[in-house]
Amino acid sequence: MVSAKRKRADEEPETSTPRKLRNRTLADDELEVSDVQTPSRRARGRLNEDGTPRSILKKSGIRNGILATTPKSNRRLVFETPSKPAIQDTPNGTPVIVRNADRSARRKSNRKLIERAINGADSDEEDLEEEQLLAQQILSDDEDSEESTDEAGVRDEEDIAEPETPSKRGRGRQKGTIKKLGRPRKKRSPSPLQDLPPHEEYFWQNRPGGAKTSNNALPSQSILNHDEYFQAMQTYADPHRPEKEFLLELHGRAFDQWLFEFQEGFNICCYGYGSKRPITDKFAAHIYQRLSTTTPYKNSKKTPKVVIINGYAAGTTIKEVLTTVASTITSSHTKLPNKPTALLSYILDCLTENPPPHPVPIIINSIDSPYLRKGLNPSLLASLAAHPSINLLCTADTPNFPLMWDVGLKAQYRFLFHDATTFASYDAEIDVVESVNELLGRSGKRIGGRDGVAFVLKSLPENARNLFRILVTEQLALLLMDGADGDPDEPSTLRRSKATSSNKDTSGDSSQGIEYRVLYHKAVEDFVCSGEVAFRTLLKEFHDHQMIESRKDAMGTERLWVPFRLEDLEGLAEDLCEDAS
Amino acid sequence: MEHQRCYIYEPQDTDERPAKRQRTSKTDSKGPQSERLATFRQLWHQQEKRIQASLDEVDKATQDQLVQFVSEAPTTSAACIPTGLVIAGPSIASHGPFFEHLGRRITDETDCTHVVLTGSESPNLKTLLKNLITKITSRTEEDDDLEIATTTRSGGPKLLNFDLAHVHRWQSKGRVKSIVVTIRDSEAFDSNVLVEMIDLFHSWLDRLPFVLLFGISTSAESFEDRLSGKSLRQLDGQKFDVTQSDEIVEKLFRATTASTEVQLQMGPNLMRRILDRQKDHVQNIQDYSDGIKYASMSHFFANHTSIFLQPDLSFRALDAHAFEAVRNLPSFRRRAEEMLDEGSTQEVRNMLDSDQFLFDLIIEEIRQGQQALHALNGAAVVLADIRRFLQMSPSVPLSSIWIRAASGELIGSPLLRETMLSIRKIPSNKLAQLLLALRGDSAITNYVDLTTYEDQLVELINSTDTTEPLRSQHDVRNESMRTTVVAQKVLLSKHKAALSEQDKAYSELIGNFHDNLERYFAEAFIDPRALFLSEILIYDLKSPHADAFQPRPRFAIERALASPQDYLGSESCGVDSDEGALSISQPATALVYQLYLESGPLINISDLWTAFSSMCGQEGNDGESKTMALFQRALAELKLLGLLKPTKKKTDHVAKMMWKGL
Repeated sequence: MVSAKRKRADEEPETSTPRKLRNRTLADDELEVSDVQTPSRRARGRLNEDGTPRSILKKSGIRNGILATTPKSNRRLVFETPSKPAIQDTPNGTPVIVRNADRSARRKSNRKLIERAINGADSDEEDLEEEQLLAQQILSDDEDSEESTDEAGVRDEEDIAEPETPSKRGRGRQKGTIKKLGRPRKKRSPSPLQDLPPHEEYFWQNRPGGAKTSNNALPSQSILNHDEYFQAMQTYADPHRPEKEFLLELHGRAFDQWLFEFQEGFNICCYGYGSKRPITDKFAAHIYQRLSTTTPYKNSKKTPKVVIINGYAAGTTIKEVLTTVASTITSSHTKLPNKPTALLSYILDCLTENPPPHPVPIIINSIDSPYLRKGLNPSLLASLAAHPSINLLCTADTPNFPLMWDVGLKAQYRFLFHDATTFASYDAEIDVVESVNELLGRSGKRIGGRDGVAFVLKSLPENARNLFRILVTEQLALLLMDGADGDPDEPSTLRRSKATSSNKDTSGDSSQGIEYRVLYHKAVEDFVCSGEVAFRTLLKEFHDHQMIESRKDAMGTERLWVPFRLEDLEGLAEDLCEDAS
Repeated sequence: MEHQRCYIYEPQDTDERPAKRQRTSKTDSKGPQSERLATFRQLWHQQEKRIQASLDEVDKATQDQLVQFVSEAPTTSAACIPTGLVIAGPSIASHGPFFEHLGRRITDETDCTHVVLTGSESPNLKTLLKNLITKITSRTEEDDDLEIATTTRSGGPKLLNFDLAHVHRWQSKGRVKSIVVTIRDSEAFDSNVLVEMIDLFHSWLDRLPFVLLFGISTSAESFEDRLSGKSLRQLDGQKFDVTQSDEIVEKLFRATTASTEVQLQMGPNLMRRILDRQKDHVQNIQDYSDGIKYASMSHFFANHTSIFLQPDLSFRALDAHAFEAVRNLPSFRRRAEEMLDEGSTQEVRNMLDSDQFLFDLIIEEIRQGQQALHALNGAAVVLADIRRFLQMSPSVPLSSIWIRAASGELIGSPLLRETMLSIRKIPSNKLAQLLLALRGDSAITNYVDLTTYEDQLVELINSTDTTEPLRSQHDVRNESMRTTVVAQKVLLSKHKAALSEQDKAYSELIGNFHDNLERYFAEAFIDPRALFLSEILIYDLKSPHADAFQPRPRFAIERALASPQDYLGSESCGVDSDEGALSISQPATALVYQLYLESGPLINISDLWTAFSSMCGQEGNDGESKTMALFQRALAELKLLGLLKPTKKKTDHVAKMMWKGL
């Protein structure tokens, strides 16, 4: 908002120049009619017009007006009668209207600003757009008026050129100089200045109206689904493979150091870009090798136990973590406490009373995953890690992970941090396709796309499948009727046209989807269901799985549709028909 | 395995061989290292003892008071709950160990039970009481669970698990004299919970002998403000001040770094870093000693020459590598060049050729170097003590004096000069006290003969008949200002008052003392980095320490993505060809990230894709899907790193979450 104001302030000198001229001419006209009243009236009008900032200009305007009055009117009267009205009409007529429009726009924008300030700053994109539109309008208006007044001014000057007194010419030149001064300021650099400091860049990019992005949409079929993604990745050969392996080897050289740090009672936290699973895997192997050559395991069948926890795996709970740790120090028959806190204190007591021959190594991948960072989990893990018989090596992926721990927890963890940038891809940590779909908010992909729907349908009774088939075929028929006027035989062209207007498909406008009543009757005709209650139950099942969406259209009739694009619908219909036959 | 949540590691058979081979190949170089690590453990053990001793000493006074307070608390029929307000200071990290230690002492030394409650486990009164009851009743015998179950069945109505009657029943067997409940972080408790708890405890006070201890990080006043007048009337408070962590750190510093017994000296830059971090971020004693420990660990782990710090080292235990390493030290070269300039070429040859000669030299030099460093430490302590004794302002803590001394900046510094000037001015009574106070410092008594000064002083004082202390000629009181007006100009002139005989003698005495002290400081405050073999004696490296304790993960990730050539090598990222331009041979995520940096707060994915595919798109249908796969992976990774967020403002747009370098 600040910058919006500033913008306006910037514009003032520019707009004011022509206005001054206009005012002067206006004043002249008025003077012709009535000499006495003008100054006072003009002042009042100006004051009403807008607030303080114009006051300086006003004064100068008055001065100009007063200075200009007598000689000009005389001269005009004498010499320029024929040309005057025509010329003066244009500058007088149009600019005034423009100025009014301009003023009302400004008032409007002011009102907008105030409203927004009152309603809170959660400015939607709509507001932004409106503001942009408004700004554009104002700018274009200004430019128009400027142009017209410029022309007028030029013409004025041309016309007046011969009879003008030196003083007036001086004023004309002044105008020019002001304009020249004003012009460069108006030029806005299209791209941000290079080498801005980060915080300046933040404010530059977050300025209101600063974000201008195109309305291009990504065609839906260009995003790969799971199968396509894995197929593509399988054939992909990483050009950086040797370097990444070298990095990994570098980290591997530090393993002995890490073991030494473990021995001295520290825990280790690895951070940096890239999946750190390769490192933790190697380290687990390393520590396993090392331990199996030491006393309790050397010549026995016992194997050292290294606990590995994949924090990124969905649904990892602290209880599972603690149970796994407990399984290393107790026999499998002992009954463990149920609550995590009790379990933790049980483990800690066990470790204190009969300390194991060596500290239990625990490796946690992604300790900053959403599953391990919520609730009490960090503090439980911290008190586990604080025990001298526990060696914890964990990895953290996000850039701001140290914020998870306050001073107290940090003291308990006793972490040493190591940069373990690997550049390895996060294969296990993320489901690429899923998270991209989530990022783009593509509905219908939520349940795992077409395959997901098929999967859900398989588990539903026959009737439900039939109902869904009806819905899909009906929707397809509607789309085909809509989209392809001439040639429904060419699905490829159709598909392309649909893809380009893909927004239509998902948003579900009134033409899309089947009316609730129609679907119900079809279903009854096909003996899918006998009554409305049964029909509703079936629909609810679909709704729960997000397989259908419903909306009331402008007429108030409820419409149902399957949130898929055309090509997916076709595939679905094929699958369903195969099932039915 | 990768999608399993928790499991016990099991080696894959294929992995076993290369791993084993790798291990055996390393064993030959392992020998001297394990020797060094053993030296480290030996030295650190001594250091740890010193730390522990000074820590015990620090908390002892307060804990004694608290234990006494608890044991003397009236058991029953008191009108108010005896309450200890423990002002434990703002560093919450040190509260835990303090109360843990205190609890152990209370249970050991008095007939009381001690329970700690924290804010996180007491969101409301009910849970607080549940926790309290389980903690109290399960404190002693194992059959408590059983017991509670049976008693509830036999005696009257069934009790809910947050009824203090459980505690009463437990207490009725005459177990303890009083129940000490510690609220460890009183600021973390909701004030309503506190008020309700106090109210409830008060109503049980005739049956249950409660004693409350509140751990307070702010001040007793602000704690009182949080409670209502009624609950304040129910408390009978007493305030206990715990030594603040910065004082403790100062004490630890004296015991560890500035001690005259350390074998491995920490360098000034490292100590400055540790202390700054202490002041700005952590305020935690554990962390301070960890910092020092890690520094010594680094020294012994990575520095071949650190083996020479081992006490009673024998020549035969060493291998040639250690000597080779010493010959490559900068200070060795410096010494060799100096000796060549002096013309003692034979000795230099010996140093280079004979390991045995070098060994003897090193052992001797290390002994001397350690002595010099200990003298420096001692002198820094003496200087700090003198300043504290004279109450000079600004009060400079020992740590900063030491850091300046260890950087060799103290000689000729205003700080030292100022101190010496004020020594010349002290009157006799203060001097006597100062001499007495300095007697404890063994560092100075070796250089300055304090007793003769004391004897002389006593003699001098005895010979005077006034009770007024003697003053030196530099004392301000022996000077007077005189203003004279000559030819309309004001002249200021100082005049020394006539000194008495005793004062003159005293001035001479103090002059001698001053000179002696000055010589001592001049001798002690050397530049330690100029010492021969200072690389062995002093550890002052910044790099592993800063990263290990103050990581900059965001910077690391941004750097990896913005300039991957730093990690992957420039030839594979093809950067050197064109400065500033994006190179298509960088990893996909790095490319997308750099495009991301150029965009505004909202990013159109379609346009981003166009930019990306035009940069490194491949021909053909197959190529495109491959590019798309890379693009999708890059997006997903940026999302995982928290750089991107879905937005509803526009379709197919994402929101930018982080600006590089902020």
